[in-house]
Amino acid sequence: MRSHLLNLLIYATLVSAYFGILVRRTPAQQFRLGAIIWAAMVGGALILAFLMYPFPR
Amino acid sequence: MASAAAREDGEALAGAELRRVVIALVAGWAVPGLGHVVIGRFRRGLIFAAIILICFSLGLLHDGRLSLRDREQPFLSTLQVVANAGVGIPDVLARWSVYGEMVYALPRDASFPAYEARSTILRHRARSSLSLYGTAYLWTAGLMNLLLLFDVWDLGLRRRD
Repeated sequence: MRSHLLNLLIYATLVSAYFGILVRRTPAQQFRLGAIIWAAMVGGALILAFLMYPFPR
Repeated sequence: MASAAAREDGEALAGAELRRVVIALVAGWAVPGLGHVVIGRFRRGLIFAAIILICFSLGLLHDGRLSLRDREQPFLSTLQVVANAGVGIPDVLARWSVYGEMVYALPRDASFPAYEARSTILRHRARSSLSLYGTAYLWTAGLMNLLLLFDVWDLGLRRRD
């Protein structure tokens, strides 16, 4: 799988599911925390990507 | 008399519980999720096993580095090996599959025949365009499994629900 975006989405899904289940107790709380972590990871990566866009290597 | 007997019973119970948790920790390191199963958290164990093993499999499919301890970079390479080995038996099997044996370090002497063979395999995987993703998946799987052992400890000793 060569798509950087797809890998980002899969990685963020796995990590956010893991931490959501690990840290919270009820399914609703787990889903909420998982969604926050997922959005932070994906959103953060996309924001960084746009910030770095003017500086290609 | 009664309180002494009760205290002995309590100590025996605590000893048995501690033994069970230690067994759960070893099992949890060896097979992701098994530690939770040992302490009776079957569903939680299965979910974590699925997450970690999917992550680990993606790492192998993406040519992730199965790091070897290198004397030239002892600190960083040791951390990498710990991250890899955190996933337990799957890492052992992966090393057998990739290197043909269970190796965790490059030989001390570069003239040793295995040095060239192992470093060639390592370089070959690292050169793959997918290796960056694969390595992230592999190390994450190992570190997630190590972190899970704290959860097994807490749940096993009833420090949290």
